[in-house]
Amino acid sequence: MGKTMIQKIIQRASGKEVKPGDRVWCNIDLSTARDFAGPNCVLQFDKETEGKGKVWNPDKIAFTFDLEAPSRSEQVANNQKLIREFAKRQGITKVFDVNWGIGQHVLLEHGLVKPGWVILGTDSHMNLLGAVGAFATGVGNTDIVASWILGKLWYRVPETVKIKVTGSFKKGVCMRDLLTKIVGTLGAGGLIYKAVEFVGPTIEKSNLAERITLCSMVTEMSGKIGLIQPNGEVLEWLKARAGEEAVELAEAIKADPDAVYSEEYEFNVDDLEPMVSAPDAPDNVKTVREVAGERLDQVHIGSCSNGRFEDIKAAFEVLKAANFKIAPGMRVIITPATREVMKQCAQAGFIEKFLDAGVIFTNPTCALCTAKHYGTLPSGDIGMSTTNRNFIGKVGKGSHTYLASPMTAMASAVRGVITDPREILG
Amino acid sequence: MLIRGKVVKIGDNIDTDLIIPGRYLQITEIDELKEHVFEDLGEVLREKITPGTILVAGENFGCGSSREQAPRVLKAAGVSAIVAKSFARIFLRNSINIGLPIFVSPEVVENVLERTEVEIDTQKGVINVLHDDKNYYFDPYPEFLEELVGMGGLVNFVKSQVNKHKRRP
Repeated sequence: MGKTMIQKIIQRASGKEVKPGDRVWCNIDLSTARDFAGPNCVLQFDKETEGKGKVWNPDKIAFTFDLEAPSRSEQVANNQKLIREFAKRQGITKVFDVNWGIGQHVLLEHGLVKPGWVILGTDSHMNLLGAVGAFATGVGNTDIVASWILGKLWYRVPETVKIKVTGSFKKGVCMRDLLTKIVGTLGAGGLIYKAVEFVGPTIEKSNLAERITLCSMVTEMSGKIGLIQPNGEVLEWLKARAGEEAVELAEAIKADPDAVYSEEYEFNVDDLEPMVSAPDAPDNVKTVREVAGERLDQVHIGSCSNGRFEDIKAAFEVLKAANFKIAPGMRVIITPATREVMKQCAQAGFIEKFLDAGVIFTNPTCALCTAKHYGTLPSGDIGMSTTNRNFIGKVGKGSHTYLASPMTAMASAVRGVITDPREILG
Repeated sequence: MLIRGKVVKIGDNIDTDLIIPGRYLQITEIDELKEHVFEDLGEVLREKITPGTILVAGENFGCGSSREQAPRVLKAAGVSAIVAKSFARIFLRNSINIGLPIFVSPEVVENVLERTEVEIDTQKGVINVLHDDKNYYFDPYPEFLEELVGMGGLVNFVKSQVNKHKRRP
């Protein structure tokens, strides 16, 4: 019987023949922690090893500072300092401080992510790295600490769901709309403890930013990982960053033609229209048409789901079509995923135009994925964001958030109410 | 392992932000953090959580972020076990890793009432409702996970593995 991508990955990491349901210990290729849970990992590691412990392999550990970058309180500043000092003490050199951006994206850009690798992180959206065929999972600090001690972690081999995507997006519609449609169709618990393989012609011709978007919200369906077989320009990009080994590893994790899937779905995007996740759950999915005209107080474009250059460019095109005018009183925040993305935006001339239009263009961070960030919403305010969660009060107690694509978000910023981007793009 | 306590019921899709709001997560002391458990769900629920509480939840309990503080604050607040129709993947894993026993039993969720006293036999996979001696069944942990939870969680288990390797000639 053939094997799925996740079976091949776990087989490589565990050295065992595996089938869904098996529990195995896997060797970890990269264990990462961010400034949010990282301090707890450090404190726990030092407590468990009585302050004398050495991590199993400093070259396979990385820290990213992306949630509060730069720090905005003494407590956060001290927490970040704790990580820096621990890294120095342990000889961990892969420390991406407050000037780099969103961890997963920074790791990708630095060639530290390869297809088939087993990667951990203290971020529930680590699994967006499945966009390049890596098995990355968000975990708690105990898993991180265990991996620092042993270099291994236990896994249950998940069943795999196959999602085939066909067709071409029409103007004003994009991968984020498809993702929202999938979340609405499968529901919040639709992929509990399952892996997903995204396949089909639409996926094969998609770019890295689109693949990141698609894999980023598998968590919102309670899935373990969304995997895409690297090919074409994505594989070339990986090869340039992570070396020739990335190509060999990509080949090694290809699903067998006779692999067994627990379920199979097919989505055609030819007639897909702009979608939103309405408050207060990612699977509360509606078409933009259904909620058009609802008032908004703030729009945010960015996050690990939609903070790449292509995402910001899509928003820019909508603003350009609206003669660079934003609705009076509308607060608009754009946050690039990484320093590299920010530079691309600068080189393309976007930043000046955004600023002239009244947009707040920030340094690269996770930004408005949670409260306590610049742009936290006051009680009663309604926001629209390209982030991946809109649980009640997540970006401010008593506030509510719609999730949407960068194009829908910018179109709504232009009009001041929820707006179908096709109305502006023509 | 036997766990005994009174049931407190809660609904579907209870996310980690509802368990412990993100605005408090820079607090590293668990005893301080536990004061904010279920804060956004109101005082009525919070006052029900007392030492030994067995939390009975609906679908997809613990969805959302990977914050381990979610199961940790529940444990610190007195929750001795959680029974649900289903758990979000990361929450399930984190709970096992910190030694908070959690079990899937849709029947218990459907049939057992608030404040009922129950006893859970983790090895046999039985939840016994004490006042009417009714039994509900769940799949017990595989041996490895039973051992892991019994040792108080993953780190203790890992340390025992490391020590085992050190002792080998």
